[in-house]
Amino acid sequence: MRLSIPHMGNVYLPFRAVCQRLGIDYIVPPANSQRTLSLGSRYSPEGLCIPFKMTLGNMIEAAEMGANTLIVPGGYGICRLGYYTRVQEQVLHNLGYDIEVIQMGVSERKFFGMLDIIRRISNNAPWHRILSAFRFGLAKLNTIDQIERTVQKVRPVELVQGTANQLYTRAVHAVDNADDYDTLKGVRTDYLGQLNHVARNDHARPLIVGITGEFYVVLEPFSSFDIERELGKLGVEVRRATFISGWTKFSLFLNPFGINEKSRIHRAARPYLKRDIGGDGWESVGEKVLHAKEYDGLIHLAPFTCMPEIIAENIMPSTKEQIPVLTILCDEQIAKAGVLTRLEAFVDLLERKRRMRHDLQRVSV
Amino acid sequence: MTTVGIPRALLYYQYYPMWKTFFEHLGAKVVVSSPTTRKTLAEGAARVVADTCLPAKVFVGHTVSLVGNCDCIFIPVIRSLKSKTYNCSKFLGLPDMTRAVVPEAPPILEIEIDINRGKRRLYEDIYRLGRHFTWNPLRVREAAMAAWQTYREYRELMYRHQLTPPQAMEEITGELQTGLAMTPDTLRVPRTTIGLIGHTYLLYDEHINYQLIHRLQQYDATVVTPEMLPGYAIEASVNKLAGRAYWTYEEEVVGAGGYFLESGADGIIGIMAFGCGPDSLMMDMIHRQATRLKTTPFMCLTLEEHTSETGVITRLEAFMDMINRRKQRGEALCV
Repeated sequence: MRLSIPHMGNVYLPFRAVCQRLGIDYIVPPANSQRTLSLGSRYSPEGLCIPFKMTLGNMIEAAEMGANTLIVPGGYGICRLGYYTRVQEQVLHNLGYDIEVIQMGVSERKFFGMLDIIRRISNNAPWHRILSAFRFGLAKLNTIDQIERTVQKVRPVELVQGTANQLYTRAVHAVDNADDYDTLKGVRTDYLGQLNHVARNDHARPLIVGITGEFYVVLEPFSSFDIERELGKLGVEVRRATFISGWTKFSLFLNPFGINEKSRIHRAARPYLKRDIGGDGWESVGEKVLHAKEYDGLIHLAPFTCMPEIIAENIMPSTKEQIPVLTILCDEQIAKAGVLTRLEAFVDLLERKRRMRHDLQRVSV
Repeated sequence: MTTVGIPRALLYYQYYPMWKTFFEHLGAKVVVSSPTTRKTLAEGAARVVADTCLPAKVFVGHTVSLVGNCDCIFIPVIRSLKSKTYNCSKFLGLPDMTRAVVPEAPPILEIEIDINRGKRRLYEDIYRLGRHFTWNPLRVREAAMAAWQTYREYRELMYRHQLTPPQAMEEITGELQTGLAMTPDTLRVPRTTIGLIGHTYLLYDEHINYQLIHRLQQYDATVVTPEMLPGYAIEASVNKLAGRAYWTYEEEVVGAGGYFLESGADGIIGIMAFGCGPDSLMMDMIHRQATRLKTTPFMCLTLEEHTSETGVITRLEAFMDMINRRKQRGEALCV
């Protein structure tokens, strides 16, 4: 059996770690590229969103490399994503690949369902080995997310542009190669130290822009032309609440005990949107309301034809808490130049707004 | 007396007789917005972001036209009607979205129907809706029972007498639904049977589908719609094609489509709105099945506000010509 999973940000790191520890034959699909997207859009039904097309592209590329088992997230109660597995499986079969698609529930039986799947694909490995491998995978995930958070802070203020990005790329490799806790810890302290010692521009006062929207496009840099890096180049500090490590921590372990990291966001959204509408629509509205004071602007990423985000996009302008929002719809038709122009214009607007606010303050003093 | 406004869009075609009975039993007056026109659609499309789907734009347009004619607007949220099914986000966020884009709208009456939360919650929610009109739980119960009875009659009428929802609504409420007679011309002998699949708000809104049913009847076709099919057959084909049902309104597309593919209809026409999340998957499922079986021709029409009437007519003509020729050839072969 050769196992593979579609890409979503750095999610392949923990999976590779788990599979290595359990001796499962695992292949990482080729990094997301234009080919992935073209393959995916060619074989998808029209009108589906970019997460479907990208993951389908990954699946086809993995199948070409000989994978015969795929793990794909799915389940009830999360927009149409829960239904994707069935259609993708059919597409793959029609293309002539003999492949088994295992649906990993992300809405019900999350933790135990995941352990069950790991046990199944590892040929009934003993539970203690599964748990220890799982824990190690989580440690890798936490490390890389912690490094990414620091990178987000360093990018806009570094003197030599691109230093943080280089360090980040190297850190991903180092985390991927670390095969025990000590090495991993070493990698973490090493890279966090290096990042904190990057030469900084002391006069820089970066604008703060939040990134919110649909889970996949927020986490997968390819689908949004790596918007965080581009914002970093423009001297903007990016804040994002969605991290895979955060999702695993709460969704797998804390939500069953009634602790929900999002309840604050939901409370904020409630005057404008009363209930969960699937996907991340509720959270998008909530983040706008919650961070209106903190952030200078908000970038709302959504796949084209995403149902929950369209509702959110309709509701967002009507909130009392005002903050500039730029909605970027991602699909296979967007062009990088178009996105960059819009980002530059948006950042200019935010800067002018901030200057005006300062001038006003000075006048009142 | 309170006047409750009901937009003639989305779930109206499925539940209007039920809602009307409920509110009238509670002593309210019910007004419905007038049938969709170009103006309704333009009004709706101007208020929402461009990528909102056509039926949602029509819905907003109808809501705008109700402003000033009623004291409150009824917009239900239907999450699930069966265990472990889910509905499109547009239905779930409908009241909130309407409030955001039509700020001048009168208060919105909401009710959330979610079978997964249990019977008790459902009854509580119905009572909470009735509380706007009376404090007496027994009166709410009576109204709800009467409404349910009307709904059963309505479904029965469509299934037993092969009526489309607008025709059945006319029978039940006595209100004229459309300008066009939907009954087939008895003098002509229908040559073909066409199965229509799609959501009620696309099949029966004559403005947005360019009088599709009427046009098909002019081609001497008998039109069968999902509401006319027996429930058990639909459920069986959903289970066969899609496994466990996932969407709340899956029967209208996957169920009916699967049924038509095997029941010997001469052709199937699927109607979907551009950008419809559930349909993009469900129509594809029927499309795939039709390709696999190779027995029944299938055509999918995608509607949006830029769809032109001529385009629809041309495709329809071509499809009907193909079916007629296919039939003739088939008969010739049999002889």
